[in-house]
Amino acid sequence: MTGIGRVRVEGVVKSHGVTTVLHGIDLAIEPGEFFVLLGPSGSGKTTTLRILAGLESVSAGRVLMDGTDVTTQEPGARDVAMVFQSYALYPHMTVAQNIGFPLKMVGTNAAEIERAVTAAAAKVGIGHLLQRTPGQLSGGQQQRCALARAIVRQPRLFLLDEPLSNLDAKLRLETRLELHRLQRSLGVTTVYVTHDQEEAMTLADRIAVFMDGRIVQVGTPREIYARPQTIAVAGFIGTPPMNLLAGVWQGDAVTVSGRRLPLAVATSTPRDVMLGVRPGDLRIDAGGLKARVERVEDLGDSSIVSFMADERPLKLKSDRLPPVREGEDVFLGFAPEAAHLFDPHSGLRL
Amino acid sequence: MNGRSTLRRIALAAIAGAGLAVWAFPVIWGLLTSFKTERDVLAYPPVWLFKPTLDNYREVIFGASSIVPNLWSSFVVSTSATLLTMLIAVPAAYALARLRYPAKRASGFYVLATQMLPPVGLIIPYYLVLQKIGALDTYAGLTVIYLTFSLPFAIWLMVSYFEDVPFEMEEAALLDRAGRLRALWYVILPQVRGGMAVTTIFVFLNAWNEFMFAVVLGGNRVRPVTVAMFNFISVEQTQWAKLAAGAMLAMAPVILIGIFAQRHIVKGLTVGAVKGGGRR
Repeated sequence: MTGIGRVRVEGVVKSHGVTTVLHGIDLAIEPGEFFVLLGPSGSGKTTTLRILAGLESVSAGRVLMDGTDVTTQEPGARDVAMVFQSYALYPHMTVAQNIGFPLKMVGTNAAEIERAVTAAAAKVGIGHLLQRTPGQLSGGQQQRCALARAIVRQPRLFLLDEPLSNLDAKLRLETRLELHRLQRSLGVTTVYVTHDQEEAMTLADRIAVFMDGRIVQVGTPREIYARPQTIAVAGFIGTPPMNLLAGVWQGDAVTVSGRRLPLAVATSTPRDVMLGVRPGDLRIDAGGLKARVERVEDLGDSSIVSFMADERPLKLKSDRLPPVREGEDVFLGFAPEAAHLFDPHSGLRL
Repeated sequence: MNGRSTLRRIALAAIAGAGLAVWAFPVIWGLLTSFKTERDVLAYPPVWLFKPTLDNYREVIFGASSIVPNLWSSFVVSTSATLLTMLIAVPAAYALARLRYPAKRASGFYVLATQMLPPVGLIIPYYLVLQKIGALDTYAGLTVIYLTFSLPFAIWLMVSYFEDVPFEMEEAALLDRAGRLRALWYVILPQVRGGMAVTTIFVFLNAWNEFMFAVVLGGNRVRPVTVAMFNFISVEQTQWAKLAAGAMLAMAPVILIGIFAQRHIVKGLTVGAVKGGGRR
């Protein structure tokens, strides 16, 4: 499959009447890549996926697949397969008929359909359920049936719209691993929509972060976590999200609530900044920012401590239980290189 | 609590029984009358115990006033009207439920608006049109007129069934390279087949029971059974027993359909009340 499944989205705008839901989207997805569209609800990620599928028209811009402009092509002509959030299985057909449907529609002979259906069902572990109808399957089995229907005809592009969101937490973890294994074994370019950053971080080769109908950052999970390009991305990625504090950057330190906190970078001219520190980088430090312990949450393998520092909430994440009590005043600091600085006006990383 | 629920059950049964009695009385009266002689029918005070006779049925089936040709007329008109209605209503309802096209709202309203007109107001224009084209007292003429009220009804009913099928199912079929027509045939129609059955039954029953258009626009050649029964009422006398026997025969298909399709009909009446309630 390598070599096919290259996708380009160029300046795509989508409007519904006076409401614009996509403001000029540009994307370049490489063959075989597992590409995740991540963002909060209403950020435009599902609309982008539906535009790739051909289920939505564009108001401006174009979509190219393997160098061919497919912007106005019908969904069926694009050679893409999609797994819907609801799975969209055909309730009156058996699992075998559901999986074989895309092949039947292109006139594949019955013997070949049976062989392909058996192979696809075996790949996702539902070979023993072929004669059941979707109504007789559990949520996880339905999801696998939808996956099998997508892989049976070896398309050039898989589109997955929050396929794990209807599964319980345990099954979601298992299926996530299997999905990754399946994608790697098939090597098919995959575009995956989710609002769950953990899913995005664990599955993606690269992530595009959507906010308010725009892509605000594209990068590997590590890049997006380590160097968020905007305050919005910094506040969205990470559990809990990054702590953000307004301060003044002067020399090699930032002053927050009258306390100088050292940085690894220096400036010659003082300026207002938004300081960002990941909860995992925050530590209890005698020379830091004064804060009151609000709540200690023991998660077993880790703990999250909530603080209030000068009316601003802060969170600290640690793999051990810090020796603090609720209501106690402590000082918080961080390693100079762990700080992220943003322009408070433009929201961009400095 | 237990006493209250028993009381409640008795009260509900009493109300249901009263309602049933109101509905059932004319049917039971008609059934009894159809086995009486004309003398027993007119006896005063009414006789409840009588010697049943099949003469009335013999007369309305084999006699000079046989309604069998009229049952055939009813069957031809009702079946043609039902087939044509479903043939047009299913794609029309699908278009209304699914497609985006100019003036969709207006056309949807028009479908309902035709249902709001009082049918009696249309009889004269219909009569004049059919007379002009020579279609009075023809199967084609009466069938087309029946379409004018059965089509809006069927479209309106089928739209709700189509709207009940998730959009994503159709989109999945389009991505599976089915195209719109094959998506309709393989994916959508099988899911609304219950709705199609209900609509077919309703349309057939409406046409079968229709009287007003049939009596004005029919004639000697096309005379449905509802009109034929009217023959038993004349200036000199009303042949109640034969009328009742005719009515029982005319009601038979209606009741048979009702019994066999009860489950579908009840589902059809409650479509939209429960999410996905009318899907299959």
